[in-house]
This record gives sequence, C-alpha cells and structure tokens, in this order.
Amino acid sequence: MLYFEKRQSVPQHFKVMIPIVSLLIGLIIGAIAVSIVGINPLDVYGGILSNAFGSWYAFSETLVAATPLILITAGLIVVFRMNVWNIGAYGQYIIGAIFSSYFALFASNGLSKPVMLTVMIIASMIGGAIWALIPTLLKIFWEVNEVITTLLLNYIALYILKFLMYGPWKNPESYGFPLSKTFPQTAILPVLFNGTRLTIGIIFALISVIVVWFLIKKSKFGYEVKVIGDNPLAAKYAGISVNRNIIIGMAISGALAGLAGMTEVSGIVHYLQVKIGADYGYTAIIVAWIAYLDPIVTILAAILFGGLASGGYSLQITMRVSYGIVGLIESITLFSLVGAQIFLNYKLRWKNGSS
Amino acid sequence: MIETVLETRNITKIFPETTANKDISFELKKGEIHALLGENGAGKTTLMNILYGIYMPTRGEIFINGQKVTIKSPLDAIKLGIGMIHQHFMLVETLTVLENIILGLKEYGFVINKKAVKEKLREIENLYGLKVDPDAKVWQTTVGEQQRIEIIKVLFRGANILILDEPTAVLTPQETQGLFKILKRMKDDGKSIIFITHKLEEVMQVADTITVLRRGKVVKTLTKDKTTKSKLAELMVGETNLQNFQKNEKELKEIILSIRNLTVYSDKGAKSLKGIDLDVRKGEILGIAGISGNGQKELVQTIAGLKKVSKGKIIFNGVDITNKRPRFISRLGINYIPADRLAMGVAPNLSSIDNAIMRRYYRFPLLKNGMMNYKKAFAYTRMMAKAYNIKLDNPLAPIKLLSGGNMQKLILAREILESPKLLIASYPTRGLDIASTQFFRQKLVEIANKGKAVILASEDLDEILSLSDRIAVMYEGRIVGIMGAEEADKNTIGLMMAGAEV
Repeated sequence: MLYFEKRQSVPQHFKVMIPIVSLLIGLIIGAIAVSIVGINPLDVYGGILSNAFGSWYAFSETLVAATPLILITAGLIVVFRMNVWNIGAYGQYIIGAIFSSYFALFASNGLSKPVMLTVMIIASMIGGAIWALIPTLLKIFWEVNEVITTLLLNYIALYILKFLMYGPWKNPESYGFPLSKTFPQTAILPVLFNGTRLTIGIIFALISVIVVWFLIKKSKFGYEVKVIGDNPLAAKYAGISVNRNIIIGMAISGALAGLAGMTEVSGIVHYLQVKIGADYGYTAIIVAWIAYLDPIVTILAAILFGGLASGGYSLQITMRVSYGIVGLIESITLFSLVGAQIFLNYKLRWKNGSS
Repeated sequence: MIETVLETRNITKIFPETTANKDISFELKKGEIHALLGENGAGKTTLMNILYGIYMPTRGEIFINGQKVTIKSPLDAIKLGIGMIHQHFMLVETLTVLENIILGLKEYGFVINKKAVKEKLREIENLYGLKVDPDAKVWQTTVGEQQRIEIIKVLFRGANILILDEPTAVLTPQETQGLFKILKRMKDDGKSIIFITHKLEEVMQVADTITVLRRGKVVKTLTKDKTTKSKLAELMVGETNLQNFQKNEKELKEIILSIRNLTVYSDKGAKSLKGIDLDVRKGEILGIAGISGNGQKELVQTIAGLKKVSKGKIIFNGVDITNKRPRFISRLGINYIPADRLAMGVAPNLSSIDNAIMRRYYRFPLLKNGMMNYKKAFAYTRMMAKAYNIKLDNPLAPIKLLSGGNMQKLILAREILESPKLLIASYPTRGLDIASTQFFRQKLVEIANKGKAVILASEDLDEILSLSDRIAVMYEGRIVGIMGAEEADKNTIGLMMAGAEV
C-alpha cells in the first residue's frame, strides 16, 4: 500500500528539483493531450518558447505580463506568511485601477506628467489598501473568514468597474463598447525601451520586491510576521500584536495590487475598460506558492508565468492554435506544479501488507 | 512455571534524529503487574507504541503466548488481546459512556442492543469494581471516570494484556489508590498489566516486576521485593543526587503582586476563575497545586495578560495590570514559562535563534534603527546555550528538531535571562532529566533568594513541596486553601485538590 509520510526536514535541493521535475511532468502530460488532438506538441512548446523568450520583443512582452504578477505577488507574500489568505488581489487591482483612472480622466488639468503619475500611483495604492482593509477589519472585529470576504469583494469590485464603464465613465465615442476615454499623455507611464510596451512599471515591481525582501528578512515587522505565521499563540505570548501586523500586511498587499492595476491601465491599456489584465490577481496566488513565498524567487516564477501567458497568447495568432489548447497546457502544468508541492512536506512510502 | 504472555527480543526503533529504543528485551508473565520505569525520554512510550502497532520496530521480535507476531496496527494489537489506555483519553465527549465503549464494535447491531451491552458492563463491574454510569455523556464525567471508561473499553474488546501509559498523571492521590485496587483485581483475574510511569512510589506500591529503562535501553529487570526506592532511582538516573535546596531565611517582605476577586471566563464561556484573592511577596516561591483543569493555567495566563479579566483587579508593584497587553506586563518585569511549550512557548518551525530572542527582539542591540541584527541574535543564542547547557547543534535549524528537554531548557533560559521581578513557571521541569531538573530548581530558589518572586504551578506535588514557601491549592476555579510549607503535607493537599474542605 502506498502512503504519505511526513518529512522531518526538507533537503534544500528539493526546493529546486521539485518545481523543475513537476514542470517537466506537466509538460509531458500536456504533450500527450495535445497529440491526441492531432497537433505536434513540439511545435506548440517551441512556439510558446519562441513567442515568450525567442526575441527581445517577445521577452519584453513576457516582462509586460510579469510586471503586475510581481507587484501583486510581492504583496501576497507578506500576508501569506502570516497565514492570512488574501484571495482578493483581483478586486484590489481593479479598485487601484479605478482610483488612478479617476485622476487621469477627471483631474488632469494643468498637472505635469511627474505630478500626475505620482498622484495616480498614490491613489491606486490607497484604493487597493482600502479594498484590502475592509475584509481585514471584518476579520479582526468579527472573526469573519477572510478567504470568503476577499473573494466576494472581487465581484463587487468588478461590478463597480462595470457600472462605471457602462455608465458614468463611459466614453460617448466608444460605439457602445464599455471603455473610458483615452488617458491624456501626462497620465501614461513612460516606456523603458522604444519599440516595446515595457514601461517603468517593471522598475516599480523590482523596487517592491526589494522592499518586501527587506521587510521580511531584516525588519522587526518581518520577525513578527514569521512568529505569527508559525504560531499565533506564541506570538501573542511574546507580546506581538497579531492584529496590528495583519492590518499592516493587508494594507501592503492591497496597495501593491492596486499599484499593479495602475501600471496596467496607465502603462499598457491607456484607458479603463471592463477587461483589464483578467486574471493577474488569481495567477499571483499560484506564483506566490511556486516561489515558496520568497520575494526574490517571485521574479523568476512571475517571468515563467508571464512567458506562458504571453507566449501562449501569441501562439494562437502565429500558429492558429486555439487558445483552448494553450489554456489546457497551462492548466496541466499548473496542476502539476501545485500538486507536487506535497512532496516538499511528505514523502511517498511503500508499505507491505494489507492492514 | 508461570507462562509468559508477551515477550520482546531486541526491539530497536531508530528515528531520523535519535535511537528511541535499543535492543529492548523483556517478558510479561500472566497475572503480573509489570512496571516500565524511566524518566521522560527514556523510550517507554515508544516501546508501548510499538507493542500497540502505532510504530513498527526497526529491528527485533515480539512474541505473544510464545508465537512470533507482527503488529502492524492497533487493530492487530486488539486482535492479539493487547489493550492500551493512553495518557490522553480517546473519548468522544458528546456521546454517552455506553456509546463510547462500543464505538467501532459491530456485534451490537446498527440499532444498539443496549441490554446486551449493559449486561456485559455489569459483569465487568462485578469482576473488577469498575463502576460507570453507561447513560451519562462523557463530558459530564470526571477524569477518574473517564479513565475507567477507557479501561472498560479495553476489557470489552477482550484484552488480556493492558498497557497503561502514565495513568496516574491526571488523578488525585485518592483516585490513584482507587485505580490501584482495580489493577490488583484485574491481576488476580489473570490479566497482565504493563504500567508505564516515572513515579517510584507507585511502582513500589503496585508493581510485581520492574523494568528500568534509561536512554532507550533496558538497565535492569528486577522484582519488587528485591529492591528499594533509592535503588530504583539510582538505576533510573544513573547516579543519585537528590540535593536539598539552600533557602534563605526570610521574614515577610512586601507584597509585589496582589490579586483581588479575579473572575475570568474560559474560551468556552464557562467561569474558569471564580473570585481569586492572592498575594505574592518578594523573595518567596508560591506553589500552586491542583489537578490540571482546575484553573491554575487560567490564573497564571491571566497574570501574564493572556486572558481577559471580567471582574477583579491585578496590581503588580503598584501598577494596575488588569487587562493590560502582554508586552506591557512583561516589560514591567513579569515573565511566564508556559505549561505547553509547543502550543505557546515556541514557534516550532522557526530556528532556535528566532525562538531564543522572542522576549528581546524589539530592543537594542537586537533591533537597531528598525533593523534586526541577526548576528547579535546568533551570539545571544550561543551565549544562552552555553550558560544553560542547551545542546544546539545547529541554531539555525527549526527548534522542533530539538529534544523536548533541550527545548524546555531554552524556554526556561529565555525567561530567566530577562531577570524578571516575578517569574511564573508552569510545570517548568516537565520533560527534563534529573540533572537539568535540579539545575533549574536551584535557579528558581536563587531567584527567590535574590528577593524576586516566583509562582510555581506544577503537577508534581513533590516539586511544589520541596521548593515552595507557601502553597495555594486550587479546585474548580477557586483557591481552597493557602498554607506554609512547614504545615503542608501530601495527604492534606491531595484531599484539598479533590475539593475536600480542610
């Protein structure tokens, strides 16, 4: 009989080997699935690879997709380390986008570009933080489970966005499409390299990683987060205010998700619309786990996922493969990556006998 | 010749970090009470878990009635007639006693044939004097009754070999005597009993044969009439050094902690402290005795700021600390050694360093300009390990990998190094070997001799009697009596612990 046995300690090389091996296994299963449909899997994988990393432009597109992922994940790491499950980055991202768009659309008169962008950045971070603090306060004062509240607030955020896009903020010249007016030039993030869509948003992302790394590894807050995450009772015993740290952590998490929303509308889309960057808020949850809640590893994991997204997206154009196939491969590899995490803490053993 | 019902030959169990059992061989005869004596960590419980099928031995053989057997699960053990009474009871509180007893048995039908069960219960009661009310819900029963339910459960399944893991830890002295009577009746009926304990007196009172374990090995097996308490102690520890403590003569000094009419509710909403009045003076060790679950834990946690006070006042050194935050209280000079180290005393997956600095990480030099200085933290931990003889092979490894004793030492050292004005110690020497126990008891006495105060809550009456200047006894959330150490004796305290008015 096969059974799982808990590991006493995790060998360091496992942390590297498990994701690599499970990624390969996922790709193999994906290849089988693709072959059944009658497509050569090597073509598909080659296509994704070259569309994600094959050229400077392709790689810049991968980084474009990785930017919001890095920002959101950096924030999620802080709260996940306290075992607080913020599933609401999606909503915080939308609210951040809305807050910053407000200034771009309605308050841009006479402001210079640096001032305008600063205002938008601050607004987006405040918006995201507010959206994250609602479930936090519910959790602290009435012990409402944050998994449910953060998740449900995603829908509320989405419907606020829809209301604005179909209603008051709709561009009268959009032929009925749910979009806002295009942002003025002063409200658009500068591009880093001409000929690409890569903006200074990626620099914000890298700064956020460094800040979170510093907070976690070097600050008093990081120490307290560690203790709370491992044993809240011990934290209380040591005189650590669990609630205060959760509030700070959720504010950081929400603010970074909000900032991600800003970099997307201001950097990539240049107007507000119902579909902004779809699933970054959910994908970031997976990125955080694949990265073992480590801010530095997050960069690699986010580039991997950004590459899958942008490479897969281009694939349907260049190879005329249905996006469903790409989605299938993505899901299988994800499943494999996440599922394999169990081997970090458990090992498979074979036990003889039936009882 | 009396037949051997159970025999182990060279049982060895190796865990990744330690060898818990090494070449253990012993024989259990029909109709005997066989005590397995050893300190915490000597390997008693591991051995029993092997016999009960919870662990598989790395090496070695087990024979039941002369037949070689492999015990892969508790189910196998039960089939072979082995029954285990765990230290922590395995009962479903919301079910009745009867339902608990037949839990998992198929013979009594989908709709329970209560008549048949009660019939058999009466049989057991007549045979061994094990009386329970089958229709009571388990949560309504006392700890002593719950133990009887566990024993009945095992007998019900036809066990001939009973293993009792530290059965007296939760009992009053009076309940313990009751248990011993039952054990003797079972023995007379031909049952064989393995009795795991580290209490010498109980061994001398009830056992026929004694196997002493030390560091996972059998030191010696002897019969009771050929040994003495001090001889057993020597075998258990390796050397005898039960010293007396040098306590300063002291007159009544000023009060440092004053508690008035303290009322606290438990997490479940029941009153757990019902109007406590207590004064603690500088320079004294105040022992708090009581069976666990009578409010000692709530009392010490409330002083440390970990439980909410509903009514009453706590004054420390002239400062009202009622419902103040734990950090505020610890900075005033109250330090608390919690009873349950894994639940509260440590963050198990963090390193020994992170755990060692829990009380001072927010102060200079560990925190400088808002940044943690982990180098200083490392040095501090090293110093602590050296001064308190803590075996730390790798201070960066998760603290849960330390042995229970080393972990406990680290917690004790961490709190003592804060030089508290009032040290609250809950079961401080649980899990320590004799040498460390002596060392930390000596520390507690030193702290008191320096004019600081110590509150000592312990299950171990001997510890309380040998260290305390005064002893307060708790029963059902009240202090039922406070007495000076000279006037205290075990019997009186035992009766008070059971709720008797003295």
